[in-house]
Amino acid sequence: MPRSEAMEGSMRAPAFAADIVREWRAGNRSGLARLLVVVLAVVAAATFVTSIMTGAADASLSNVVHWLAGMEGADQAPSVRDRIIILDIRLPRAVLGLLVGAALAVSGVVMQGLFRNPLADPGLVGVSSGASLGAVLLIVLGSSVFGPLFALVGFYALPVAAFFGGLATTLLLYRIATRGGQTSVATMLLAGIALGALTGAVTGVLVFIADDKQLRDLTFWGLGSLAGANWTKILAAAPIILMSLAVVPFLARGLNAITLGEAAAFHMGIPVQRLKNIAILSVAAATGASVAVSGGIGFVGIVVPHLLRLVIGPDHRYLLPASALLGGTMLIFADMLARTIVSPAELPIGIITAFVGAPFFLWILLRGRSNMGL
Amino acid sequence: MIKVSDISVRLAGRQVIHGVSFDAAPSTMTAIVGPNGSGKTTTLKAVSGELSPVSGKVTINGHDLAALRPWQLALKRGVLPQSTIISFPFTVREIVRLGLSASGTVSHSANDRIADDTLEAVDLAGFAGRFYQELSGGEQQRVQLARVLCQISAPVSDGEPRYLLLDEPVSSLDIRHQLTIMRLARQFCERGGGVIAIMHDLNLTAMFADQMVMMRAGRVRASGPPREVLTDETMEAVFGCRMQVNVAPTRDIPFVLPQSVAI
Ligand SMILES: Nc1ncnc2c1ncn2[C@@H]1O[C@H](COP(=O)(O)OP(=O)(O)OP(=O)(O)O)[C@@H](O)[C@H]1O
Ligand SMILES: [Mg+2]
Repeated sequence: MPRSEAMEGSMRAPAFAADIVREWRAGNRSGLARLLVVVLAVVAAATFVTSIMTGAADASLSNVVHWLAGMEGADQAPSVRDRIIILDIRLPRAVLGLLVGAALAVSGVVMQGLFRNPLADPGLVGVSSGASLGAVLLIVLGSSVFGPLFALVGFYALPVAAFFGGLATTLLLYRIATRGGQTSVATMLLAGIALGALTGAVTGVLVFIADDKQLRDLTFWGLGSLAGANWTKILAAAPIILMSLAVVPFLARGLNAITLGEAAAFHMGIPVQRLKNIAILSVAAATGASVAVSGGIGFVGIVVPHLLRLVIGPDHRYLLPASALLGGTMLIFADMLARTIVSPAELPIGIITAFVGAPFFLWILLRGRSNMGL
Repeated sequence: MIKVSDISVRLAGRQVIHGVSFDAAPSTMTAIVGPNGSGKTTTLKAVSGELSPVSGKVTINGHDLAALRPWQLALKRGVLPQSTIISFPFTVREIVRLGLSASGTVSHSANDRIADDTLEAVDLAGFAGRFYQELSGGEQQRVQLARVLCQISAPVSDGEPRYLLLDEPVSSLDIRHQLTIMRLARQFCERGGGVIAIMHDLNLTAMFADQMVMMRAGRVRASGPPREVLTDETMEAVFGCRMQVNVAPTRDIPFVLPQSVAI
């Protein structure tokens, strides 16, 4: 870079920061929000790389990268073991963490926007358990009842089944908890508990009639883990998750408007019914795909959006991308903890997210009690 | 022109509005008055397109309301609801911007100027950085009005008049701000737009409205300019209490004092 440009750049930085602060004081947090999205993207990339480098076994990332790029600099060709650890174990795990974390956080944001309530989360209100039920149904009754479906969609069958399970629960919940465009928090949470219990019970029956092999497939839904990550799973979940992530930015303006109520959103030109339909579909798709590949990982959809709202406010144009990035980062990070805390053994990641998320949820509940009608 | 022709509305299986008709012309402030539960809000919801009448129709500048899409409506009229609860901590500026995003204007600098001007017009200059949920009831009401005014900032666009539909715009304001807001609505009319406002204060209505629509039990009981419809007889017919309507000597505007009723 020519020197003059470098100097100008370094002088512009403080002015830029001052601008953001001034704007923020004047109630405009969009400058800060844009900056945060960039920062989060960098942090996500860094966490991603770090997670590939860390683990119980030693494996040299740089060797593998050089080898992949066909470059000279590799001291020696990486061992097969290194290649497998990096490319077939850690990389798919990090990719899946990023995808699932983003999907869960974004589902949380969309659901909270739709229900106009900071406590709505696919995990808490039974959508995830609905999705699990879909997946379990498929595993247990799969070959006999859903045979043709299996044949038709191959390894997409599981995410698709989870999607329909999630969709059914979301629709039911929306019907129950929303009257005349207003959602009752209490009804939503209680209905969520009831739906979760109901789907849990049905799942229990299915587990009871499952055979040994099916049982092994099933146990993993209870906990939620990225341990089973592989490229086939990614291939099954990624298109669905990426599609939902690509759709939700178009909901941002509508979700902002609906903060003032469904009527006000309509007055401001939002086709409310269509917004709700698309929102419910994308939540069900993203949650379903995540549950299908990683089980029920809780609280990401509550913690991430809430933290971000404290900093950049509820504007969904920024909240959605920021949540996707922070959600992915948090999940990769939680997975790193899960892999290393009791290394060489491994904790289910759901335990870690619950340890962080549940107290956080209680904190939100206590703090916001007065203005959430509880 | 907004034409309401013989509309009937059912809510929860009960007919609430029975064949209501009236016109709201551009450059005119039309006030809807009537007792609680007389169907004012419901009528306004039918005019805004939020509720569809079971019979009759509403046209806005000649277009049938039922045929317009939400975004087309949003360019023709803004709506101030009777109350607004928001679910997430937006700042005042962010709320006002929501109105701008519905206005169809895209220029950033123009938008910022409109937002600042509007906040100043509702006497909220300096409030842009405050959180909506931390404002008083009257301040919140003025923020919402500012949002609506941002959506419909020009009273006339492409040669077509635009409309403000206001449900009790001054109900929680102090006397000075009541006047501020009523003057703002007046100016909107003088610049070629139309206003339909639901009002409870008959004296403010008499001062500012060009037309009054008096409702009772879901029907229009009287309509016309305040000086014609504000009479002892309509007061009794609509509100069911005997009150004397007087005329202020200096300005020829009718007024009613509650003191005139027998206690
Ligand atoms: N969602 C609803 N479902 C059933 N009935 C309703 C509903 N909303 C209003 N009503 C009824 O319709 C009638 C008209 O109500 P509306 O809100 O239009 O009255 P209003 O004239 O605006 O009264 P106020 O001066 O109190 O605001 C009332 O009898 C009310 O009980
Ligand atoms: Mg009303």
